[in-house]
Amino acid sequence: MDQFLTFFGQLQTFDIIQVIFWGLAGAVSFHFSIGNARVWTSIAIGFFLIFLSQAYTINPWLHYYKLSAYHSIIGTVAIMMITHGFLEYYVFCRTFEISGNKLTVYLTVLVILACSGGFLLINPTPSPNTLRNIKMVENAIWVFLSVMNLELVRKIYLAIKDSTISKGFIAFGIVFFCILLWKGSELYLQIYQWDRDWQDIIAMMTEESSDIGQYPLRVELSQTVSRYAGLLSGFSVGGTFIYIYRLLK
Amino acid sequence: MFLLPKGNPLFENLAATKLKLPEVMTKLSTAGFTGYASFVFQTATAILVFESGQLVCALLEDRNGVRQTGLAAMSDLCQLMQTSGSGILNVYKLSKDLAICIHALLEGEIRYKAQELKLIDIKTLLEKIKSDQMNGCLRIYTDDRSAMIFYKEGNPLGFFHDGSHDIETSSSESQKIASLPDAKIDLFSTQSAEVLMGINLLEVVNVQNLWDSALALQQSQAGKVDREREERDKKDIGIKLATLEEDIKNIVIEYVGKVGRGIVDKEIAGLGGNTCLADSTKTSSLLAAIERSAKLLISTTKIKLMQEKLLSLIAAAVLEDL
Repeated sequence: MDQFLTFFGQLQTFDIIQVIFWGLAGAVSFHFSIGNARVWTSIAIGFFLIFLSQAYTINPWLHYYKLSAYHSIIGTVAIMMITHGFLEYYVFCRTFEISGNKLTVYLTVLVILACSGGFLLINPTPSPNTLRNIKMVENAIWVFLSVMNLELVRKIYLAIKDSTISKGFIAFGIVFFCILLWKGSELYLQIYQWDRDWQDIIAMMTEESSDIGQYPLRVELSQTVSRYAGLLSGFSVGGTFIYIYRLLK
Repeated sequence: MFLLPKGNPLFENLAATKLKLPEVMTKLSTAGFTGYASFVFQTATAILVFESGQLVCALLEDRNGVRQTGLAAMSDLCQLMQTSGSGILNVYKLSKDLAICIHALLEGEIRYKAQELKLIDIKTLLEKIKSDQMNGCLRIYTDDRSAMIFYKEGNPLGFFHDGSHDIETSSSESQKIASLPDAKIDLFSTQSAEVLMGINLLEVVNVQNLWDSALALQQSQAGKVDREREERDKKDIGIKLATLEEDIKNIVIEYVGKVGRGIVDKEIAGLGGNTCLADSTKTSSLLAAIERSAKLLISTTKIKLMQEKLLSLIAAAVLEDL
């Protein structure tokens, strides 16, 4: 109990606010996925999974590296589900085809997460370096798929711009722009080894050095963008789903 | 059309379209009938002259005065009996002499036709008949009455008017008709009885075959008419279905936006084309499919309003029998 109290005492207010925002966004999107058409399920589940991936900040068992890696995998699955959902929506706009059912989507996500968990269990515990690599891969996927989703959202909007829901896709555009800034700035820091994980690693590996001191402005700017864009992403996702929910009511 | 005095009626005003010509011919032939049978239709009149059960003359004249005789007349009569909406048959008994005169008249040549009596110098005409020693017949008639004066070698042979069974000597009926204001005359020259061919048409013409051919033709034409009507109906339904499809699209576009056209097109194509709009089960499926797609684009309230509008449109179309 004392351990938990110490852990929560160490949490930064900003991180807690960010997780709360993602929690709200996750709750709204999950609720949305239950009451709406099948195509929305992938999108809403994906956004809900972002909350689970971001919850690592408040996870008291984060020192278990496998669990930490699992958060990153959930994050990767999240953006893949979201992209799959928008791709399906775009296909619907072009062909008016709707296929599959909600249960299949839920079960598929569960199976993917279970397999990912199984993969981590049967492999060695990841080192801090491996963990950082996993996070970098996650961020790279996020950046790439966010750009792709921006394009999909644009095309969907053009196809249905005289429909009630079209403005909702403008909101999704804002969401993906925030996510692009958020994940892009994190990836930028990771690529140039200016991220906190790398600094922690080299603190224990005396033979490595860092040039972070030479670029304080860039680092500071990237860290600030990452923090506020992450916050805005959670806020915009929650707001977008509430907005779409009202549009479709 | 050609109107003969009525003679001694055997049957009058029988519904000609309900009779079969072969049966009528057989009946009159086996009874050794002498006289004439007239078939009166809206478009034509046919006269069949019998002498002792032999059909010696058949004449059919249409409303324009175009005449057919013999086989052609019998064939046309068969068709008229099967295709006309109405028509009557009158059968009048005559003496053999009168029947021969009628036969001669029907095979004679028209000299003057439908001349108004008040415009003619009748005295000069009668003198000319006498001076030319003409064999012929002078028919005096109005729209509903008729009398005839037969001449042999320029001399009056006798009179034939309504109710006569034989050639009569009294001219009173002829004079009465001639005194009517709308009286007209026809003058026919005829051949003498010795020259007339006494062929029994019933032995030459197979009336049953003519009847069957006419029946087959009539059925084929009726089938053609049915097919044409069916095609026309199909075309009409096609137009109505296309209009209904377009109206449905317009409603869906009104609520969903321009993608609504694509949604309706896709769903209708999936249900086998716009003929699905004539099937209540498929129409329900179509509405459900449109609703499913619309859920991705518009609010529940709008979907409800759209569905109500679509339902009332389809119900109205069904009431109009599509």
